[in-house]
Amino acid sequence: MPISAATAWGQSPDGRPLHRWTLRSAHGAQVDLSDLGGTLLSWQAPDRHGRVGEVVLGHADAAQYLASDAYMGSIVGRWANRIRSGRFTLDGVDYKVDRNDHGNHLHGGVNGFHLQRWEVEPEGETLVLRLVSPEGDGGFPGEVRVELRVRLDDDGTLDLRYAATTDAPTPLSLTAHPYFNLSDRRPDIRDHVIRIDADEFLAIDAGAIPIGRQAVAGSAFDFREAAPIGSRLHWPDPQLRLVGGFDHCYVARPGPVDTPRTVAVVTEPLSGRRLTIDTDRPGLQFYSGQKLTGQPARRGDAYGPFAGFALEAQAFPNQMNTTEAEGAILRPGQVWRQHTRYRIDTV
Amino acid sequence: MSPHRIALLFNANKVYDRQVIAGIGHYLNSTRVEWDLFMEEDFRSRMRDIHHFKGDGVIADFDDPEAQAALSDLHIPVVAVGGSYHDPSHYPAGVPYIATDNTRLVRLAYDHLIEQGLSRFAFFGIPSHPGSRWAQERERAFLAIVGQESVEGVVHEGHSTTAGGWGAAVEELVAWLTALPKPIGIIAVTDARARQLLQACVIGGIAVPEQVAIVGIDNDPMAQLLTRIPLTSVIQGAEEMGRTAAHLLHQMLRGVDCSTTRVLVPPVGINVQASSRYQPLRSPHVMRASHYIRQYGCLGIKTEQVADYVGVSRTVLEEHFKRELKQTVHQAILQHKLDTACQLIADSDAPLADIAVRCGFTSLQYMYAVFRREYDCTPRQYLDRHRTADAATAEHRDP
Repeated sequence: MPISAATAWGQSPDGRPLHRWTLRSAHGAQVDLSDLGGTLLSWQAPDRHGRVGEVVLGHADAAQYLASDAYMGSIVGRWANRIRSGRFTLDGVDYKVDRNDHGNHLHGGVNGFHLQRWEVEPEGETLVLRLVSPEGDGGFPGEVRVELRVRLDDDGTLDLRYAATTDAPTPLSLTAHPYFNLSDRRPDIRDHVIRIDADEFLAIDAGAIPIGRQAVAGSAFDFREAAPIGSRLHWPDPQLRLVGGFDHCYVARPGPVDTPRTVAVVTEPLSGRRLTIDTDRPGLQFYSGQKLTGQPARRGDAYGPFAGFALEAQAFPNQMNTTEAEGAILRPGQVWRQHTRYRIDTV
Repeated sequence: MSPHRIALLFNANKVYDRQVIAGIGHYLNSTRVEWDLFMEEDFRSRMRDIHHFKGDGVIADFDDPEAQAALSDLHIPVVAVGGSYHDPSHYPAGVPYIATDNTRLVRLAYDHLIEQGLSRFAFFGIPSHPGSRWAQERERAFLAIVGQESVEGVVHEGHSTTAGGWGAAVEELVAWLTALPKPIGIIAVTDARARQLLQACVIGGIAVPEQVAIVGIDNDPMAQLLTRIPLTSVIQGAEEMGRTAAHLLHQMLRGVDCSTTRVLVPPVGINVQASSRYQPLRSPHVMRASHYIRQYGCLGIKTEQVADYVGVSRTVLEEHFKRELKQTVHQAILQHKLDTACQLIADSDAPLADIAVRCGFTSLQYMYAVFRREYDCTPRQYLDRHRTADAATAEHRDP
């Protein structure tokens, strides 16, 4: 359905007005996006009875988003996830980027894409978001131009197509960072049942930096058959104890090039809602939301631990400092693309 | 190294135990761990001989009251599987315990009934027995929930089922159901118990779900097969319990101490069927008629028979249907037949000709004609659409 006109939604620190846009599907779903960080402010989706309810976490207003450290619903860049010590070498040059997570770089740094004001323009049923990230943004080289095309299809799919170019070589990995809770009754996702189509995940060190691929078979990380999130948290696994739950990147099974394949399916038993994620990215970060405690919620209240979970389609964390570094670099003349779909239906 | 010899002590004659064992099997297949599994050939567990077992580990059903005593001085790793307890002191000491979370099973059934718009609730349990402490835990969970939320909630344990006492037990159940205020939502402690409720409702002429909405626990295909009105049921995470038990035993065989590990597994879903699809209907005539159509709609009934059952004239019944459901009685019967056919096409491999007959269409050709008129496709195309949708979601599922 056509996108409604923008409504005013607070202002940025430099006094410029911020806005929100609403996308609607024929079956009653509704998605709200902001130009601040390309943020997914709200997603209302029908349950098995057709009753519409909120399925993503959110703060109360623009001021809270600007003050937040949760990347709540935002587009994350220039580098989604972590880079060890905020350092990498590209074409023989050493770079130091923002270190904002215990000495490591996380999610684009202190003024990442999630805090920037994107230019937004409806094009028929598609919302087009554009951002220019200047040379030196967060410490990264090159001026990067990003275009994100978002549409809500009538089958309940939120379709995200990213494209980016640069004028100098730079690491690039973008992701959307919504926290889902498919139940609009219970502020805890531990009864959600998750399936992740990955045979391996990246084991991490105490700083949450990957140290190597590990088979999921025989471990708490094996979600190739669907299982409740909550009971897995009680398996005796040192990888879970390191970060108090899941905050690990899965190595999605390879699919056809540049074509999204299903990487994860999550269902919520009571509402019957089912979230399916398709992406063409190699990595899928699964965060079970254990550290959401105290994050401001929409109605002046605060979220508790495990209030929502995130599934972030992206490159591998710290990929710049691995043998796969070249796969994470965008060079002038190339167009970086990503296609990710979130579909919510019911079972 | 020769494979570890592991005993699985379960009475695997129920769907729950079989799913736990399936979960153990999945774990072994996914890890290529080789265990030499010992089970009694009739799938019953006999604790008395276990001390003669020359093996390396045991996974046992601790709902069986004998298990705890029989296994307490065994000097090999034991993993306990059973129901959760509200009182932590009820868990056996010194062994890892994998539990189905009784509170969350009942909570899911209750929340589902709340979502149907019901505000009165009852629980149908089983009489207290040492082997069914889990049933008492579910009953207790129900009372705790209705207590917390200050809503009406009554509990009925009924009688144990025996062939001899069956007639009296049904009469007593009908009397209990009849006396309950309506409408009401009833949680049955198992699907076997839910089936008895459905049967008593049919005998007592009580409309399901309009007067009594029913939710069972287990999602047992057998119970589904033996009920005329499809049963809504909570699906336990039994396979995940089996995977978890196998994982813990696997760790213990490598020397990891799991003796204080306790894992409560929540339900993994609820299979929503007609028995709980409560829609408040104003007209008692429409309510009774809908109840009759759900039971006999596929047996070739006509509007006259529905009117006879309700005890009003055809004209009066048609007026009520038009007002309440915006359709004729005939359309309601046809809709029921179509819904049943769609369900069978999606869920079974039965030939279409059989489905046509089972759903009360006079012939396969007639079913084709009705599909063409109502859905603008053939039953086969309907099936293909359904399978494509399923295949799309099942993609990449196999390792």
